[in-house]
Amino acid sequence: MQTVDMQQLKSGEVNLGTSIMAVQFKDGVVVGADSRTTTGSYIANRVTDKLTHVHDRIYCCRSGSAADTQAIADMVHYHLQIHAQQSGGRPTVLTAANVFQKLCYENKDALSAGIIVAGWDKETGPSVYNIPLGGGLFRQPWAIGGSGSTYVYGYCDATYQDGWGRDETINFVKNTLALAMSRDGSSGGVIRMCVITEDGVERLFVPGNELPKFWEGEEVLSKSSNRTREFTDDMAIEV
Amino acid sequence: MTSIGTGYDLSASTYSPDGRIFQVEYANKAVENSGTAIGLRVKDGIVLAVEKLIHSKLLVPDSNRRIQTIDRSVGMASSGLLADGRQIANRARDESYSYRDVYKESPPLKELVQRMGLYVQAYTLYSSVRPFGCSTILGAIDKSGPVLYIIEPSGVAYGYHGAAVGKGRQLAKTELEKLKLSELTTREAVFEAARIIHLVHDDAKEKEFELEMSWIGAETNGLHLPVPKDLLEEADKKARDALEDYDE
Amino acid sequence: MNSVYKGPGFDFSNTNRNAFLETRGLPLPKATSTGTTIVGCLFKDGIVLGADTRATTGPIVADKNCEKIHYIADNIRCCGAGTAADTEFSTALIASNIEMHALSTGRKPKVVTAMTMLKQMLFRNQGQIGAALVLGGVDASGPHLFTIHPHGSTDKLPYVTMGSGSLAAMAVFESSWKPNMSRKEALDLVTAAISAGIFNDLGSGSNVDACVITATHTEMLRNFVKPNERVQKEKSYRFARGTTAWKKEDIRNLIISEVVVPTREGEEMDTS
Repeated sequence: MQTVDMQQLKSGEVNLGTSIMAVQFKDGVVVGADSRTTTGSYIANRVTDKLTHVHDRIYCCRSGSAADTQAIADMVHYHLQIHAQQSGGRPTVLTAANVFQKLCYENKDALSAGIIVAGWDKETGPSVYNIPLGGGLFRQPWAIGGSGSTYVYGYCDATYQDGWGRDETINFVKNTLALAMSRDGSSGGVIRMCVITEDGVERLFVPGNELPKFWEGEEVLSKSSNRTREFTDDMAIEV
Repeated sequence: MTSIGTGYDLSASTYSPDGRIFQVEYANKAVENSGTAIGLRVKDGIVLAVEKLIHSKLLVPDSNRRIQTIDRSVGMASSGLLADGRQIANRARDESYSYRDVYKESPPLKELVQRMGLYVQAYTLYSSVRPFGCSTILGAIDKSGPVLYIIEPSGVAYGYHGAAVGKGRQLAKTELEKLKLSELTTREAVFEAARIIHLVHDDAKEKEFELEMSWIGAETNGLHLPVPKDLLEEADKKARDALEDYDE
Repeated sequence: MNSVYKGPGFDFSNTNRNAFLETRGLPLPKATSTGTTIVGCLFKDGIVLGADTRATTGPIVADKNCEKIHYIADNIRCCGAGTAADTEFSTALIASNIEMHALSTGRKPKVVTAMTMLKQMLFRNQGQIGAALVLGGVDASGPHLFTIHPHGSTDKLPYVTMGSGSLAAMAVFESSWKPNMSRKEALDLVTAAISAGIFNDLGSGSNVDACVITATHTEMLRNFVKPNERVQKEKSYRFARGTTAWKKEDIRNLIISEVVVPTREGEEMDTS
C-alpha cells in the first residue's frame, strides 16, 4: 500500500491532506471524510466537503490535489450523466469506478489523486472501490485513504466485522476518522458522512467539538508531582 | 452526359433534383439481389436465419458465413455484399469493445445500433467512398430482453419484432406477420425461421442454398451461438417436408 | 516551435531555453505581482467583495491605486490576486465568454457558470496562469461566493480571503463574522478585513475598494476608504535662498536653433 507523498505536489498547490473512508454494509455504504484543506501550513478551508456527488447513488471521497480531484470528479459526473441519459437508467458503481480509474491511470504522470468510489446499484447492491495513486482499481469491503489513513490501518483491521448494520457502520467510520484526524496534522476540522442506500442519500455532520474522544494524554508532571522527573534535552517536544 | 446518364448517380455526395441519393438506392439494389436474411424476436430469445446462395459446388460447406457474432450475446446477419457485412461486423465489435472498456458492462443493443447507424450514414456523405451494399440485422438479449434491429445502407435503423432483408423479404415479411412472435419460444422459432427461408427460396432461379441459423435464448445461456447441428438438420428436414406438402 | 502555424493559447516553447539561461546566471524578468489582500463575505441580501489597491514588483510599489475587483457580469464580480496580467486577462476572457453565453441562452448568467469556466481554464494550464481569485455574485439561485486557486481548485464558503494578506484578513473574519449581517455590518467587516491586510501585510497597501452585490443592484465602491492619503507636511523642508555658496556664473543658451530648407515645393493634397 502506498502512502500519499506530499512532496510530490507542485509548490503552492492546494492539498487535501486528508482522512477519507468508505465502508459497505448490508443495505448500503457509509462514506466519510475530514474537512481540512491546506496550502502548505495554512488551512485554506476548514469545512471542506470532500464527499463529492457523481451520480444519484454514487459518491466519491477525494484525497491528494484539490484541483486534480475536483477536475476528475467533474469529468466523471459528466460521463455518468451522458451514460444515464443514453441507457435510461442509473449507472453501476463499477461503471463509475472504471471511468475514474481510466482517467487516473491514463494521466498518472500529471495527477496526484487518491479516490474512493462508493455507492449502491441494482446489480450488486452496495460496493466500495479504491483507486490509489497509480490508478489501480480494487473492490474492498472497506477502504481508507489520504495521509491520515496510515495511522488507522491497524484500528480498522482490528475493528471491522462483516454483517454490520447502518448504525454500527456509521460509528466505525466516525471513530476511525476521529482517530486519524487526531494523529494526522494535515487532517482535522469536522467529520462529514453520507449514508447511501437504495432509498436515498443521507448526510451526517459531526462538529469539531463533538468528535468522539479517545485517550488524549495526561499531565505527567502534576500527577506524579512527588516523583519529579529530570528534564533532559531528548525529552523536549517541539510545539 | 448522354453516354453516362444524368450524372446524379456518380457520387454519394450528389443529390438528384428530386432530393434522392442514387448511390444509396443502388446500395439497396445490391441488398435486394442477395439471399434472404431474417430475424425473429420471440418471447425468450432471438433467432437469425439466412439463405446462403451457393454460387459454386466447389465451395466448402459452412464457409463464407453470413451470420457473425459481435459480442457474447449479440448476433448479426447480413444481406448484400458479404465483404461489406464483414466490415460492419468488425466495426460493431470495436464499438462493443470500447463500450465495455469504458463502462465495464455489455452495451445495450440500442446504443450499439445507434453508433453503427452513425458509422454507416457517414458513408453516404462523401464522394470518395461508396455506401455499404448491405442491410444488417442485429439481434441480442440485453438488459431490456430480446431486441432486434435492421440497419439499412442509408444509415437508418429501426427496431422490429420480425425482420427480413434480401431477395425474398416481401414474402418473408408476410409469413412473419402471420406468426404470433411474442408467444413463440426460441426453439419453436428455429423451426419457423427454417420454414420461412425454405419457403421464400426461389428454386427456379437459384438451385442451391445453405440454411444458416443462430439463436440467443435460455437454451444458449444468453449467448449468441449457431443452432446445434442436430436441431438445424431437424428444422431443415421439417421445412422441406412442409414445403412438399405445401406444393402438393 | 518552428512551424509557421501558431495555435491558439499559451506558448511554452521557450521554457527550456529560459531554464537554461537561468542556470547560467541570467535573472528572469519579474512579473508584476499583486501581493494582495482580497476578501468576500456573505450577508443577508447578497455578497460584499473587498480588495486593497497596491500592486508590487518585488520590493517596489508599482501602482498605488490599482483596481483588483474585476467585472464579470452585472451581477457577478471577481477579485484577483497573484500575477496582475493573469488575473486581468483571465477575468476579461471569462467576462467576454459569460456575455456570449448570456446572449445565447437569453438568461442572466449564473455564478457557478463563471466559476466553472475559470476553474477549467486554470486547470487546463496546470497552474501556469497565476490567478488566485475570489468570485462572488447573486443569481437566480441566490448569492454565491467562491475562491479559485491557480491550479483550478475551488471552495464555496460564507466568507473568504486570498492573497498575501489573507491570513490577516481571515483573522478578522474568524473573530467577527456572523450569519445574516446587514449591509452596513458586512461592509464594515470587509473594510476591517482589508484594512488588516493593508496595515499588517507588506504586499498590501493604499486604499480599500469594495463592491456590494444584491439581487437587484451592484454597487462598486471605488476607494471606499482611503486610510493612506498624503497629508500636508507639518514642516516646510525648503532651503533658504543662498544656502549654498557659488563662485562662478555661466549662462548658456540650451535651445539649438536650426534652419530647415525644404528640398522641393510641397504638392497640393489629392482630395479627389
